[in-house]
Amino acid sequence: MPEAGGTPPRIAEKLLRRLAPGREGEIIAGDLREEFESRGRIWYWSQVLSCAAVRLSPHRLTAPDLGQDFHYAVRVLRRNPGYAMTAMVCLALGIGVNSTVFTMVNELFWQPLPVAQANRVMAIGRESEDSTCSYRDYLEFERRLAPPAGAIFSGLLAYDDSATSLDTGEVSQFIMAEAVSANFAEVLQLPVQAGRWFTTADEQRGADPVAVLSDGAWTRRYGRSPTAIGQRVRLESRWYRIVGVAPRGFLGLSPPHTAELWIPFAAQPWVSDLLANAGERERPRVRVIGRLAPGVGMRQAEAALKAVDVQVRREFPRDNTSTGPLTVAVAAGASMPMVREVATPIATLLLTVTGIVLLIACVNVANLLLSRSVVRQREMAVRRALGASRWRLARQMLAEGLALAAGGAAFGLCVGAGANVLLARSLPALPHIGMVNLNLHVNWRVAAFAAGAGLLSAVLFTLSPALEHSRPDLTNSLRSDGSGARRMRQRDIYVVAQVALSLTLLIAATLLVRGLQHAQNMDPGFSMEHRLAARIYVSEPEYTEASGRVFVQRLLDAVRATPGVRSATLSLTTPLNMSDSVCAAVDESTRPRRARSDVVIPGYFDTLAIPILRGRQFLASDGAGSPRVVIVNETFAARYWPKQDPLGKTVWLGCDTKQKRTLAQVVGLARDAKYESLDEPPRPFVYRPLAQDWAGFLAVIVETVGPPGEFTAPLRGILHGLDSTLRVYEIETLEQYASESLWKVRWQATLLGVFGGLAMLLAAVGLYGVVAYGVAQRTREIGVRMAMGAQRGDVLWMVLGRGLGLTALGIGIGVFLSAWLMRVLATLLYGMSPLDPVAFTTASLVWVLMAMLASYVPARRAMRVEPLVALRWE
Amino acid sequence: MGEHPGEFEQIVMLAVLRLGDKAYGVPIRREIEKRAGRAVTVGALYSTLDRLEAKGYLSSWFADPVPERGGRSRRYFRVEPAGIEALTSARQMFDRMWKGVRLA
Repeated sequence: MPEAGGTPPRIAEKLLRRLAPGREGEIIAGDLREEFESRGRIWYWSQVLSCAAVRLSPHRLTAPDLGQDFHYAVRVLRRNPGYAMTAMVCLALGIGVNSTVFTMVNELFWQPLPVAQANRVMAIGRESEDSTCSYRDYLEFERRLAPPAGAIFSGLLAYDDSATSLDTGEVSQFIMAEAVSANFAEVLQLPVQAGRWFTTADEQRGADPVAVLSDGAWTRRYGRSPTAIGQRVRLESRWYRIVGVAPRGFLGLSPPHTAELWIPFAAQPWVSDLLANAGERERPRVRVIGRLAPGVGMRQAEAALKAVDVQVRREFPRDNTSTGPLTVAVAAGASMPMVREVATPIATLLLTVTGIVLLIACVNVANLLLSRSVVRQREMAVRRALGASRWRLARQMLAEGLALAAGGAAFGLCVGAGANVLLARSLPALPHIGMVNLNLHVNWRVAAFAAGAGLLSAVLFTLSPALEHSRPDLTNSLRSDGSGARRMRQRDIYVVAQVALSLTLLIAATLLVRGLQHAQNMDPGFSMEHRLAARIYVSEPEYTEASGRVFVQRLLDAVRATPGVRSATLSLTTPLNMSDSVCAAVDESTRPRRARSDVVIPGYFDTLAIPILRGRQFLASDGAGSPRVVIVNETFAARYWPKQDPLGKTVWLGCDTKQKRTLAQVVGLARDAKYESLDEPPRPFVYRPLAQDWAGFLAVIVETVGPPGEFTAPLRGILHGLDSTLRVYEIETLEQYASESLWKVRWQATLLGVFGGLAMLLAAVGLYGVVAYGVAQRTREIGVRMAMGAQRGDVLWMVLGRGLGLTALGIGIGVFLSAWLMRVLATLLYGMSPLDPVAFTTASLVWVLMAMLASYVPARRAMRVEPLVALRWE
Repeated sequence: MGEHPGEFEQIVMLAVLRLGDKAYGVPIRREIEKRAGRAVTVGALYSTLDRLEAKGYLSSWFADPVPERGGRSRRYFRVEPAGIEALTSARQMFDRMWKGVRLA
């Protein structure tokens, strides 16, 4: 079909220049250009591709016997299955761990949404913010940019992901739910497995609350039964009717979290309350995703969005004017900038570590090839003498390398897929940040990565043997006993490098494990032993403040009266798990600053054994009508009243300086404790009495006589005995909370431990290979020595000494390398020095043991050499 | 020696002969499309032209750049005596083979 005017497609021109370089390409391009206008784009492309077909046809290949090379390579490998298998297993391990880590990184950063034409689906964000805009602004965007009035997007949707709780009878669970605009499925072009998605009627104020289940939730909770449709679930005390099931594989818009269900955004009571207030422009906040209208490009959409953003801000002025510009990008991976920020350093560390593992595996294979090259020296020399060019021989080596790498990559993908499953099962789940199950899938991207890694490693490990062969010393090699001293030295260098690199990983892993132990033994500032906490919800609509107060008092009485209970108390937060904050200022004129805070009852400090250093605890007399009181910790006192007595000082509580703030008097000074995690620095902290500051979301903390875990069921019984519909969240011991707060380090220690161990194993195989090869080479020498009267022990030490010598050198270099590198781990070590001598020594000793083992096997073989046999070697 | 040019090679040489001093890529292809009734891709055409030049049947030279080609020059072709001889011998071979043959 003729197309008027224009220039030929630039990509096609570039391709043509690649296919036919120089003058020839110019001529062909000129011919095509002359006819382009009358024939059009498709014709142009077909002509360019015809050149490719001609260039790539077998007659024109620059290396006509490439096929032959591969054929020969595969034959060589099949004749030496042991060698081929060892090399491929090494590579498979290296490529496998890399593809596993790559799967994780891909999932977090690049995986597009599993929807039709995902590259047209844009995540619209705002620089350095966690949300895009207010819901009202979103409505303006949609009205102006999407049909019927706008033509930039074929649709814009709003969503908000939040951890919420799903009540399933006995237990309330934290889950991730996404609250979305009614056009959600329409914009994303999502089908349903059963039922339906939302309609605009569902998001009207007062509409019957409805929900759509994820495939996972449908499977786990309803066994994929169609009767799930129409059933009801309770989310934070509101009942929702299930109307549909999302397609399999759709996990929501916020990886790594997986959404359990979806609800209409605007119909939530708190949202419709906010929306009823016409003066409220800034809340509620939402994130926005849009599908580009046909023919609209990303840049065009970005420009249009920014223009509308400016318009909307001008038309609806607001207090908060300092907001960043909008950003537009294809929706892929975690679109929240915050998640990306947290994940980037972890991903970098992991990719580096697995890169090192692959490097070690490559060195192993290079070593294997080198030792084979000695065996094949004569073959190569003969081929060279018969007229094969160096390039031809190097190519032969490369072909063998590629064949090995292809096998390695294929096995590696299987290893990776297995490791994914293992990893998803064994890594600790993180329910409090909504990370319940990791989703690790091997897809084409991962496969492409494995193939790339294989190719790269093939080049890496064949490089040096190939160069070696390309200049063999003919006369020497044709004699049978090539001495190969230089090659030996090269292999020694490889082994030393392997030991050094794997030791570095091992030291890193040991350091993290030590850091973890250190953290677990750290004094949290309160007593964890024999204590457990249950989180309950005593709030609207089931409870008012007054009935809630009555209920928690009854609850405390009941728990305290139970045998096996030493004491029981209440607080808003659970130690080392979640925390609350208030704004505090010590005089009226200064700007309030945030301080961590908790709401507690009298006796709290006794139950948790937090010493009150000065002043008093809260008392029953600190009631609603009496003067407001607070207790502060040492860091708070030191920050605001350095070197003064905090008792009797006043604190203004409240963030808004224009409104009336609460004035409270300090009645006690508590010792510092750890509040959110064991690794936090000392933080200013304010305790407020529950009698003066009601909170409907409370933790019941119980000190037991026996093991606290055994009290879980009785405690749940008491709670439900008092109110059978009470919403009870997780019941955990304080030690469990503490251990969960260390998830970041535990993750890294687990992964580094696995990778470090693997690296050591691979390096040990390398060491074994070198020592064994040395023994094989020196069989004759050993025979002569033994014939001359050397003892078996001497021979043993000669061989062992060689392996240990190499190891010692590697350890030396590795220790120096680690001392330089471990600073990056400093933030994960809970104040422990990154040069911790125990970690360095332990890791080195483990390596020495490993080296003894790896050299002992060949040494024993050397010991058994029969002098007569050895001398008859030729 | 004694090997005749293939059918497509003959077609290409004949097209070059027919075009005389106007024989470069675009007209050669058009000529073949018009007279032989077969579509030719540039890739196939140039690989044949190069092959014929390597055999000494054709020669080529570059003309000055022209604007309608985006400032690129044309490569003109001419059939060399060796090419004429190859074409002639191919034709004679066919004539000999056809002599006395009657198809139903």
